[in-house]
Amino acid sequence: MMALFGALLALGVSSSALAHSGEFSKFNFCPSTNTEVKKCLLSKTVGGTIILGKKTTPIVNEVTLQGGYGKPNSETHISKFYEATNGITLSKTPQPVPGGLLGIVPPESSPPLVKLLSKFFFENSITGVNATLELAKPASEIQISEFNLLVEEGLALKLPVKVRLENPFLGSSCYVGSSSNPLIWNLTTGETSPPEPNKPIKGTSGLLEGKEEDEIVALIGNELVENAWAAPEATGCGGILSFLVDPVINSVLGLPAKAGLNTSILKNNLDVASAAAVNAH
Amino acid sequence: MKLRKSILLLASVAVLIVSATAAATASASPAWKFNGTELTGKETIVGAAISSSLTIPGVTTECKHFLYNMKISNNAEKKGTGEITELPLFECTTQTKTCTVASIEAKKLPWPTHLVTVAGKNYLVVEKVEVEIDYAGELCAFSESPVILKGSAGGVVENSTQTAEFNKTTFTATGTQLKVGATSVEWKGLFPTEGFEVHREQELTVG
Repeated sequence: MMALFGALLALGVSSSALAHSGEFSKFNFCPSTNTEVKKCLLSKTVGGTIILGKKTTPIVNEVTLQGGYGKPNSETHISKFYEATNGITLSKTPQPVPGGLLGIVPPESSPPLVKLLSKFFFENSITGVNATLELAKPASEIQISEFNLLVEEGLALKLPVKVRLENPFLGSSCYVGSSSNPLIWNLTTGETSPPEPNKPIKGTSGLLEGKEEDEIVALIGNELVENAWAAPEATGCGGILSFLVDPVINSVLGLPAKAGLNTSILKNNLDVASAAAVNAH
Repeated sequence: MKLRKSILLLASVAVLIVSATAAATASASPAWKFNGTELTGKETIVGAAISSSLTIPGVTTECKHFLYNMKISNNAEKKGTGEITELPLFECTTQTKTCTVASIEAKKLPWPTHLVTVAGKNYLVVEKVEVEIDYAGELCAFSESPVILKGSAGGVVENSTQTAEFNKTTFTATGTQLKVGATSVEWKGLFPTEGFEVHREQELTVG
């Protein structure tokens, strides 16, 4: 039985990952054997802030973005992105929303049922809310520019995302953004030019360092910023009562929030290696 | 009482004069001179680096042939100015086996230059520096996208050896910095300064 389990486990691993050695093990889920893939990326978002409408959520739990990317377009410097072999290109890491449901109190005009449910969860201390960033489109819709990332100009990373709000009251399908209407984050390490009331903010490439005989490049303290994105209304909140709960969530969060009202600041540590170097280890 | 006021006023004026003189010394701009005479009109300086290396943390690039062409003149205020018009770089390598230098090119020339005196030493400051480096190598993590280096560079001018030397100390003294994105790049270089046109074979000094 154990032998069978071991064999199955080994099969599972070999189908999704290559076990690289030493520093290169961080690229185990890079599709490095795909001949279109030239580079492998592992980005750890270790801090930052997401301002969605009226709600500010700090990133306190590490989020991983991993996969591969191809040769950059010679004019735009943008590369196509390739999904991580374990299917987890962007880790679904919940971030606690400060205040939780304490901040999501139904307005006086809310239907009595919504008020009752809210009161129930509040009285039973089920008030914590997590916000989880998820990819809203296939990984192939991600765009990355290594060049822009370094020169601190233009689009460095395009992420089509949606935000899942999790709580027993909100149910398991409460999202802001969807695959058909994603939040498009055009992240830059340069300066943004958002519509009012947001003001320009600046990111940074971070500190560049060649490691492992220049087979790995690290960017420490990288900061990607974007504050010109729009957010649609929340949908699917409260399960079958979403037609009642969605308006409450939208009212409290200030959704839909037009471009100029939202902000993403992602503080990252990045590691990049050539696919050939990863395969060689 | 009146005498006391006058002394105070005189002292204040004296302090102002001393401060102004000190400031003028700190920010003094020397002039280009050939055989001890201030340059009038223009001259071209051409040279090849005696030694030069560029270090992005983890990767050092050296070029066997690092040439430059700089037009120099003294402006109306008799301050030495100029511009680097050409900077061809050949046979460049890195210290690792992983990365080779596919190409290296000075961009957006000419780069303006000027002379400045800081703490009694004369410096040549090069502004609007932009160099594009394309690294190659199958295993090289720096390959595929060019690395752009931007900023300004200050090097100390030694009249005795007729050279300009750039290093960490001279960058600090002149408040200059070369960067790749947010990362500081260290540039070390020793360059001869020599007139190439009408002042050929004349001693070039600054002061």
